[in-house]
Amino acid sequence: MDTHNLKIYNEREKMKTQVEDINRNIYDIKNKDDYEIKIQGLNREIVEEISRLKNEPDWMLEIRLKALKMYEELELPTWGPDLSELNMDDIATYVKPKSKLNSSWEDVPEDIKNTFDKLGIPEAEKKSLAGVGAQYDSEVVYHSMKEDLIKQGVIYTDMESAVRDYPEIVKKHFMKCVPISDHKFVALHAAVWSGGSFVYVPKGVKLDFPLQSYFRLNSPESGQFEHTLIIVDEGASLHFIEGCSAPQYNKVNLHAGCVELYVKDNAYLRYSTIENWSKNMMNLNTKKAIVGKNAQMDWVTGSFGSKVSMLYPMSILNGQGSKTEYTGITFAGGGQNLDTGFKVIHNAPNTSSVINSKSISKDGGACTYRSLVRINENAKNSKCSVSCESLMLDDISRSDTIPVNDIRTDEVEFSHEAKIGKISDKTIFYLMSRGLSEEDAKAMIVRGFAYPISKELPVEYAVEMNNLINLELEGAIG
Amino acid sequence: MEKLKLNNTPVRTARNFAINNIEVLFEMPKEIRKFKNVEIINDKSIIDNEVSNKELTYGTGKILEKLIFEEANNKIRIQTTKQKEDIKIIYNFDDNNLNLINQIEIIANNDTNVTIIYKSKTSRTCFHNGIVRTTAKENVQLNVTIVNMLNENTDNFEAIENTLYQNSNVKYTIIDIGGKTSVSNYYSNIIGTNASNDLKTIYLGRNNQIKDINYIAELKGEKTNIDIDVQGALKDEAKKNFKGTIDFKRGCKKAKGNENENCMLLSNKAKSIALPMLLCTEEDVEGNHSTSSGKVDEKQLFYIMARGISYKEAVKLIVKSKFNNIIEKIKDDNLKEEILKEIDERLD
Repeated sequence: MDTHNLKIYNEREKMKTQVEDINRNIYDIKNKDDYEIKIQGLNREIVEEISRLKNEPDWMLEIRLKALKMYEELELPTWGPDLSELNMDDIATYVKPKSKLNSSWEDVPEDIKNTFDKLGIPEAEKKSLAGVGAQYDSEVVYHSMKEDLIKQGVIYTDMESAVRDYPEIVKKHFMKCVPISDHKFVALHAAVWSGGSFVYVPKGVKLDFPLQSYFRLNSPESGQFEHTLIIVDEGASLHFIEGCSAPQYNKVNLHAGCVELYVKDNAYLRYSTIENWSKNMMNLNTKKAIVGKNAQMDWVTGSFGSKVSMLYPMSILNGQGSKTEYTGITFAGGGQNLDTGFKVIHNAPNTSSVINSKSISKDGGACTYRSLVRINENAKNSKCSVSCESLMLDDISRSDTIPVNDIRTDEVEFSHEAKIGKISDKTIFYLMSRGLSEEDAKAMIVRGFAYPISKELPVEYAVEMNNLINLELEGAIG
Repeated sequence: MEKLKLNNTPVRTARNFAINNIEVLFEMPKEIRKFKNVEIINDKSIIDNEVSNKELTYGTGKILEKLIFEEANNKIRIQTTKQKEDIKIIYNFDDNNLNLINQIEIIANNDTNVTIIYKSKTSRTCFHNGIVRTTAKENVQLNVTIVNMLNENTDNFEAIENTLYQNSNVKYTIIDIGGKTSVSNYYSNIIGTNASNDLKTIYLGRNNQIKDINYIAELKGEKTNIDIDVQGALKDEAKKNFKGTIDFKRGCKKAKGNENENCMLLSNKAKSIALPMLLCTEEDVEGNHSTSSGKVDEKQLFYIMARGISYKEAVKLIVKSKFNNIIEKIKDDNLKEEILKEIDERLD
């Protein structure tokens, strides 16, 4: 294409490339809202009832009641997306499915098993996972792990079993990494939490395959409040994958989970999330990791679903020489307001963090990247590098970048870069001059944009993510 | 004394990030007399005191704004005529002129250079609360330089509002080295097609100085442009909050916005917070921001010290060289020298 043709190419009326919404056929399968127990609303009696049904020790009930009081005292956030649609009186805080906890898929009730089959969980377990947990509404219905890991002392179980079987470990760590006073929805979570996974990887044990927990919310107008507690002991290594989805309803659903991660000295933890909630979901999740000496905590996050998301995983680098990396992509379509990002606190010398965030907004969707980098006085010789890119696919969408960088010592290297805009015509022209068709050039650019994230996922999930962003290319982007 | 929350960001973020606003203990000056020690150097413009009392879009805070509208002790409105003009306004704080509450309004009908200088000729506690409003009419080139060299016992509050019409080009240079607590707000309303705004700032903090800088540029017209470059250094226990927002409004097709802030930390007790925001509701735009913080580059230090220069002087040289890119754009050589001398003294 010569200059003249480029001019014509630039000037002609361009058709917009259609980046299709996520194909939700699989995720939208609705089972009958069939439950053993469903508790609506939130008050002291309800919290006591949940604790009683779970036959919990007194110390856990105490935490729940303290958290309920905190929930009542704390205000809604005065920033971020509008949460006024959320009415806790309409939300079922506990939904017990008609299934007990099973260690064989054959024992899981047919309709629930079919749902997980279609989501590909048992298949993935066979092929590429070391263990699987599956939660349906408020309770875990399936949990299993490979034999050899049990022999090595790895614990992977549901949270209720962990409270019963490992009370000392749970008591020491539960709501300690994320204090109940953190914000209103953490307090709510601690008051009504149910389900979730507990993982303990003993000293020096390195898992070759990931563990995966999948959270499925089927019941309409309900909340899911699962608690994930992972302790990777000294020198150990783990990749944990979390998947979430729900069918679409007209009324608001709520997800207020909590993830507490302890990465001890010289340990490694990668926490990958593919979040694909339905577009009636308020996703107000909290995730935090405390990272020990020379340990590394990596986060890989794909946020595609939910009506509103407020999700900012956090690494607290408490150990000298500790590291963290965050790689995240957010894709907001029509009616979605996804406020995501990352927080890191450098609390020790020689710590380092790398943050890489991408977002795509289309069809009136809103993406916000919100972050905090704090390098404290004692974090001498620390390094932090932040890169943040936002792609706008039309002029009815919104994309905001709101990063806070708080540097409290001079012995640091800190840099932050952010870009916002459309795909440049020049790049398309460059690729076309090398023989690619216009459509292929655009496809390559958009997939290239998401590549730094998809390359961090295990192959099976990278394929799933590429399928989630289903491109239908027609004319030009921009 | 009253605790005021000032300099709100256009979009809030989490309260515990401590950046949405700054809390300042504010005491109203006991006596506000006419500020006499002001010098206006200009011979062509129409000068009066008929300044606008129209509410500011952002500003430092509504209480401070009300104080200005009701009790300003100095008001200057300048409407430039049809020839190229140079205007200089110098406020000299001294023992008889301790408190300045002022409004300056510049309506540039033609190419104009404006320089506003705040200087202290006293070590006594002073107070400055002001508004600078500038309007660049179509096809006008407007250069504004604001220099704050107040003493470190003075609280300084300055709100700037700048409106740009078609094809106008406005260059702002802000030298912010004085004051105890210095709160500055800059809002640029870039309406006209092809309008372009360049904003360059130097800040320097030492001892317990606090700098709270809040810059907001709204790009509304097609092919508009904003370029923000902020260079700063913090010594001792100085603290700086930099909040910079580029807001691409729907319809500002082909607009471009760049923002860069660099903070040199010269002490392990200095604190630097930056919030560089990009807000966007238009697809066909290009927005970039970058911020960086850290100590003075060791390789540069080594190179200079290898030539027999002391560590202290080498640090000064590096800081001044960073600042010089901005200072050298100032056309008034005497002022340039004065600023460099002041920076030199404050870096000692």
